[in-house]
Amino acid sequence: MASKRDTRRLIALLTPGTLFLGIFFLGPLAVMVIFSFLTPGLYGGVEWNFYHWNYGRILGWADGDWEEFDPVYAQIFFRSVRLAFTNVLITLLICYPAALWVSGLSVRWRTFVVFIITLPFFVSLVVRLFCWVLILRPSGFLNTTLLGLGVISEPIDIIFTETAVLIGMAYILLPFMFLPLYASIEKLDYSLLEASSDLGANPFQTFLRVTLPSTLPGIAAGAVLVFIPSLGNFIVPDLLGGAKVLMIGNLVEQQFLSARNWPFGSALSVMIMLVMFLAIVIYLRRIGRSEIVR
Amino acid sequence: MKHPWLNRLLSVHGLLFLFFVYAPIIIVVVYSFNSHPVNMMVWKDFTFDWYLSIFGQPTELNEQTLYVESTDQLLAAVKNSLLVAGTTTTFSTLVGTAMALAVYRYYFRLKPFYQGLLFMPMVMPDIVLGIALLVFFVNFSIKLGLMSIIIGHCTFLISYVFIVVSARLAGMDNTLEEASADLGAGPWITFKRVTLPLILPGVVGGALLAFIISMDDLVITYFIAGVDSTTLPVFIYGMLRRGVKPEINAIATLMLVFSFLIASLGLYFRKRS
Repeated sequence: MASKRDTRRLIALLTPGTLFLGIFFLGPLAVMVIFSFLTPGLYGGVEWNFYHWNYGRILGWADGDWEEFDPVYAQIFFRSVRLAFTNVLITLLICYPAALWVSGLSVRWRTFVVFIITLPFFVSLVVRLFCWVLILRPSGFLNTTLLGLGVISEPIDIIFTETAVLIGMAYILLPFMFLPLYASIEKLDYSLLEASSDLGANPFQTFLRVTLPSTLPGIAAGAVLVFIPSLGNFIVPDLLGGAKVLMIGNLVEQQFLSARNWPFGSALSVMIMLVMFLAIVIYLRRIGRSEIVR
Repeated sequence: MKHPWLNRLLSVHGLLFLFFVYAPIIIVVVYSFNSHPVNMMVWKDFTFDWYLSIFGQPTELNEQTLYVESTDQLLAAVKNSLLVAGTTTTFSTLVGTAMALAVYRYYFRLKPFYQGLLFMPMVMPDIVLGIALLVFFVNFSIKLGLMSIIIGHCTFLISYVFIVVSARLAGMDNTLEEASADLGAGPWITFKRVTLPLILPGVVGGALLAFIISMDDLVITYFIAGVDSTTLPVFIYGMLRRGVKPEINAIATLMLVFSFLIASLGLYFRKRS
């Protein structure tokens, strides 16, 4: 099969992409990892000396000074992980019943509903977030409407809280949870569900023992796809969280665009990357195991 | 099913879900026609003035309530966006398709490596890729501008095209290509007459996806755009950061319409294939 001409053609097809991704994808990541181990310069920039306290600073010991323990960065890091997890839960709770509903529709309706659910996904992220700024801000749609209806007597503060950040993140990441869930629910073997109810299981037992376990791969895929972009997000906390709900993404942005501590920013970014790898490894392990069990 | 109340509950949830997805968008579209100059959210009259004002046309709004940034800046941002999206779509479609053909039409030892390499940019958080590119460009003194944005977008768009075209290739019948070769067609003729028509819907789909993502990319562009080359999402983000103004409603509505058009175009191509 593999003649010389085949080999030549294969090389011709692969070379442009390999060179491009090697230089402009792997290259920058490598430079970033190197930067995270350099000494920050006094006025921005870097000095080419090995320095591992950028990572110490994340844990709370800036510049190796054991006296001045300040866990502010660690707190922001854990808040980001917590919010990302919460967001996974929220999107799962919203999307799972919705995906069940769609998969119960007739075939024609199903295609249509999936289309209109994914349609807003093609709308610019800034535009989708702007919608929520408009709704949630103090003189926004929510407050104006509730005040007008007399439900509340004073505007409620919802923007610049964790709630607002969670609403915004859930909104922009819904399709990432919905689509994998829907794909795995649609593949569900309905004869198993019928067998379960014929054998006397009530709907909740059927759900817990049959539906949930067989859609676990979809849940896992959705969880990873939502968790990763939630963790490093800085646009949502910037527009809806303000200074009160800083996430690790905002911290990275600050280090690069205002504080000009590039090595520390790189170290934070490497941490985001490591958590991402961890999430993917756990995902692949789980999927691998569930395949074996079957 | 035996439990109609459960199904009804699911339907209610489904409709609420659709409401949650669409209500914010509809609110923005409706209020983009609101003429109230002080509080955007108090309905006054129907007006096109905000649309006129973003295009620099004279309107009845009095000077004080006009927040027009600069029509020239807005149009320059749109032009940059289209230029970047056009270039990146062309480049990443060519490279991504070539790589998909290589990985799914040939057997070679590095195949898993390539699958991993092309998977990585898709899962890499935007902010990580954005600052990695920034550090890289600055470190090697590559000027930040349209060129750096185009390079940055291609690093992840190649992967998107690759995935879409691969999906098409995976569902394709190899025997057609073999038949073509058996009947004496050379590799180029086989590619042109058999392979290309078969994968074309995938290539078009990948290109459209790349175009939309490139037009919409905010985070990566934000870091590597430099001072004087702004794309539309970065421009709007900047406006939003300075305060919410009624014109953004109008711009947002226009962008919504544009995105919906492209998405429908994509669906049309998928239906036809």
